[in-house]
Amino acid sequence: MSDAARAIEEARNTEGVPGRTFLDPKVLARIDDLELVARFVVEGFISGLHRSPHLGFSTDFAEHRQYMPGDDTRHMDWRVYARTDRLYIKNYEADTNANFLVILDVSGSMGYGTSGLTKIQYAKYLGACLAYFSHRQRDRVGLVTVDSDIVDFVPPSAKHLNQVLHGLDRAKAKGRGALAMPLLKISESQHRKSVLLLLSDLYEPADKIRDALGPLRDAGHDLVVMHLLDPAELNFTFDAAGTFEDLESGERIPVVPGRLRTRYTELIRDHLAAVEKLLGEGRIDYLMVDTSKPVDEVLFQYLLRRERMQSVR
Amino acid sequence: MSFLAPLFAIGLIGLAIPILVHLVHKERKETTLFPSLMFLLRTPYQHSRRQRIRDWLLFLTRAAVFLLLVAAFTRPVFDRPPDAQAAATGGGREVVILLDRSFSMRIGDRWTRAQGAARQALDALGPADRATLVVFADQARAIREETESRAALRATIDSSRPGDAGTRYAPALALARRTLAESKLPKREVQVISDFQRSGWDVSEDARLPAGTTITPTDVASSEVADRAVRAVELRRAMVDGRERITVTARVSNVGPAARGIEARLEVAGRVAATSRLDIGADAGGVVTFESLAIPESPQPAAIRITPDNVPTDDVLHFVLERAPSIPVLLVEGLTAGSDREVYLQRALEIGDRPSFDVTMRRSSQLSPTDLSGKRLVIMNNAPWPSSVMAVRLQEFVSNGGGLLVVAGDAVTATSWPGNASGLLPAAPGDMKDRLADKGAVLGAIDRSHPAFSLFGGAQSGDLSAPRFYRYRVFNADSGILARFDDGAPAVLERRTGTGRTIVVASSMDGLWNDLPRQPVFLPFVHQLAQYASGYRAGRSVYEVGDPVDLQGVGPAVADSAGARGVAYVAMSPQGNRLRIGGSQGEAALIPAESGIYEVRPAGAPGARPRLVAVNIPGRELDLARFDPTRLTHSVATVAEVDPGSSSPAEGDLAQRERKQSVWWYLLLVAATLLVVESVLAYRLSRNRLTPVN
Repeated sequence: MSDAARAIEEARNTEGVPGRTFLDPKVLARIDDLELVARFVVEGFISGLHRSPHLGFSTDFAEHRQYMPGDDTRHMDWRVYARTDRLYIKNYEADTNANFLVILDVSGSMGYGTSGLTKIQYAKYLGACLAYFSHRQRDRVGLVTVDSDIVDFVPPSAKHLNQVLHGLDRAKAKGRGALAMPLLKISESQHRKSVLLLLSDLYEPADKIRDALGPLRDAGHDLVVMHLLDPAELNFTFDAAGTFEDLESGERIPVVPGRLRTRYTELIRDHLAAVEKLLGEGRIDYLMVDTSKPVDEVLFQYLLRRERMQSVR
Repeated sequence: MSFLAPLFAIGLIGLAIPILVHLVHKERKETTLFPSLMFLLRTPYQHSRRQRIRDWLLFLTRAAVFLLLVAAFTRPVFDRPPDAQAAATGGGREVVILLDRSFSMRIGDRWTRAQGAARQALDALGPADRATLVVFADQARAIREETESRAALRATIDSSRPGDAGTRYAPALALARRTLAESKLPKREVQVISDFQRSGWDVSEDARLPAGTTITPTDVASSEVADRAVRAVELRRAMVDGRERITVTARVSNVGPAARGIEARLEVAGRVAATSRLDIGADAGGVVTFESLAIPESPQPAAIRITPDNVPTDDVLHFVLERAPSIPVLLVEGLTAGSDREVYLQRALEIGDRPSFDVTMRRSSQLSPTDLSGKRLVIMNNAPWPSSVMAVRLQEFVSNGGGLLVVAGDAVTATSWPGNASGLLPAAPGDMKDRLADKGAVLGAIDRSHPAFSLFGGAQSGDLSAPRFYRYRVFNADSGILARFDDGAPAVLERRTGTGRTIVVASSMDGLWNDLPRQPVFLPFVHQLAQYASGYRAGRSVYEVGDPVDLQGVGPAVADSAGARGVAYVAMSPQGNRLRIGGSQGEAALIPAESGIYEVRPAGAPGARPRLVAVNIPGRELDLARFDPTRLTHSVATVAEVDPGSSSPAEGDLAQRERKQSVWWYLLLVAATLLVVESVLAYRLSRNRLTPVN
């Protein structure tokens, strides 16, 4: 075990979810190797919590169905034909042929962070872990980094894990962000139904976010939106009056936090509620992520949630 | 009010800082990066409102802080006006104004500036103050406000002019000290208005002023001085064809940056007797020599005059052209003619110069009363006491101021000189004492403080112990002994009779009883005794302004009408002023105040030939070198004596001066308080200013 792996193991704690040990984000921040982080994070998880949204031909038998003209005779169950003299086709659960596309928001606002990790770093860990996890399930993994347009694109492939991880590693938070245009382009380029993981801080009005995600949703993709926010963004824990500068636009305004905190928290709470409501109405999986929480705890919660959703489905 | 450090007033520029802070908008530098301002309501600065001062209280506080700090650093000193000061101290000031009117103040605009400074000093006086004006040159005269009005002081300043006298600060400072010491006023000030000529300041003179006196020097001298002057004259006498001729040499100086060609004239009795020309470099001197000329029979006024400049008074130097002084002497020889024993004394008298000795030699046997006529000295060279008639006349001669020098050789015995010679001798001649066995006696004790021997008082000025006296006459005298032999016997004695005197030498001057005539000291020994016995004093005919003039020999003695105060003289000054000297109504002495020729006659004898006295600018006054006035200030300032029981005046003065400028402490204190107030105000206003706009 390397020093980094040992550090990860030592950094596990039991906060968050009883019976589980999680990784302190500050420990992860000290490790540069995304693959290592993803592997160690995922290794601590149960495997196969989520199921492929489509049935396919795999080794796991699902059911028989009667042969219909045009079916591939290679999937004919000859043993059943020998016993019953009837032609049946074998159906298998196809959970290894899904596309898993990470859409990472790399706008300037994602470079913010007060709890040891910036939001983009946190998003990189999440994306890397889930990509690694999907890759282990023989899914095809890909990556799209966006700000107000597409910045980098790694097409989904079973062999693109390393490229995905490198793409994540290269991503820098800068520029102004606007989801509508890049998401529209993704919807136009991804014809195959995929699991799309959007990692963003969603600094846009809720209705605009819904509209931006609309084309993807309409294309039949399985959309997962992780809304990453720093605790300072959630609680506005500033004391000294001063000038606040927008990380994307560079605009500066004087702010007296003490007088603004209540109003701000109301606004951010309303915004989160509006986003969750609108995305829920569009059957888009939404998860608000506090970047001060351990990455694996978030993954754990996410996977449990996906498990429940699969069961319902 | 004045400031000790006025340059700190430049700090007033700092007042612009609070103005700029209040007028110029600049966002805060402390910036907090935030992901998005989407939910932050902006609180924009109100630029239009910030172009003018909004927080007047804060601005005024900050401006006041700057103002107070600058004021504190400039160290303000509150000099109260004289009235207020007088009221505060319970009295006024005793101000003594010393105004220099010496000759050097004639140069340039010194006197005008001095008058202006004096008037200004008077104008600065308050009603409670009291002034004393001391006008001084070599002497000082005070005009006190105590007895005169302030207008009289001003009139004195207006009417005074620089004289010909030299500068002496000591009398003026002494007068100031006396005035201040007598004053009851609490504050004392002395203002010295002068050109601060170095020659006028003698550090050896005690001129300290009372403790606590403020001394303010006012220097009126300009930096550049150009002046030519005749500094001195030298007269060399020579006998040419039986007539005495004189060669006049003058020393001329040229103080200034430019070389000069100078024409010099020798004037005798107002007529040009000779001229000469001389080129002198810058700040240099030269000597001009005129052709020799015959000396007139009677004294004549003479002068060396050079090309006049801006200060013409020192371009001329006065002197009196007269024959060398001479003492008429009657030499009475006791020996028979043809003896060479008398040659020593005769030759010694012939050699005499300044004064010369006009010797008339007589044998004792040939002596007659008419021989005493016109004589000032009778020398009895080993001669017997004369006959009774002659003895009486001789006694009268001495009593009336004549001199008698007795050389007591073998002919002066108790039998040849009866008793003490009618009271002329200090003692009767005794026996002859022979010291041949012990190789002669020497002079053991000599009263060198006596005028007759004062010439020998200096080093290498004659060895009176060299002569050997083998024989000498013993005089048993208790007083009047000027010199003794080594056995205590009197060697030289003096006896005063009336206004005359008798000098006795207890040995011969013929080379037999001693080797004195063969010693170098013989000549001055004889001359000194002869001059003293005759009552001769070296007369001066050239004086400097301020020097008392010796009037001896100015005609016959004349008693004034009251007869109480001795001789009276009348002097006519060069400006034509008539001065009465002596007597009950005249000045005590003639102290010339003008340069030129004074004519002095005995009072009541207008037809008498006057004695001419040449008076010139003091030589030291022509030395225009100056000194730092602060040296005078420090020199005359008295160091306060330490009184353990109370603070000294100097300490009190220091404490008072410290109190005058201690206001800066309070200014700093107020500024510090305002700074605290400013901090509180700024904090509160800052919070309010950053309130977001909803």
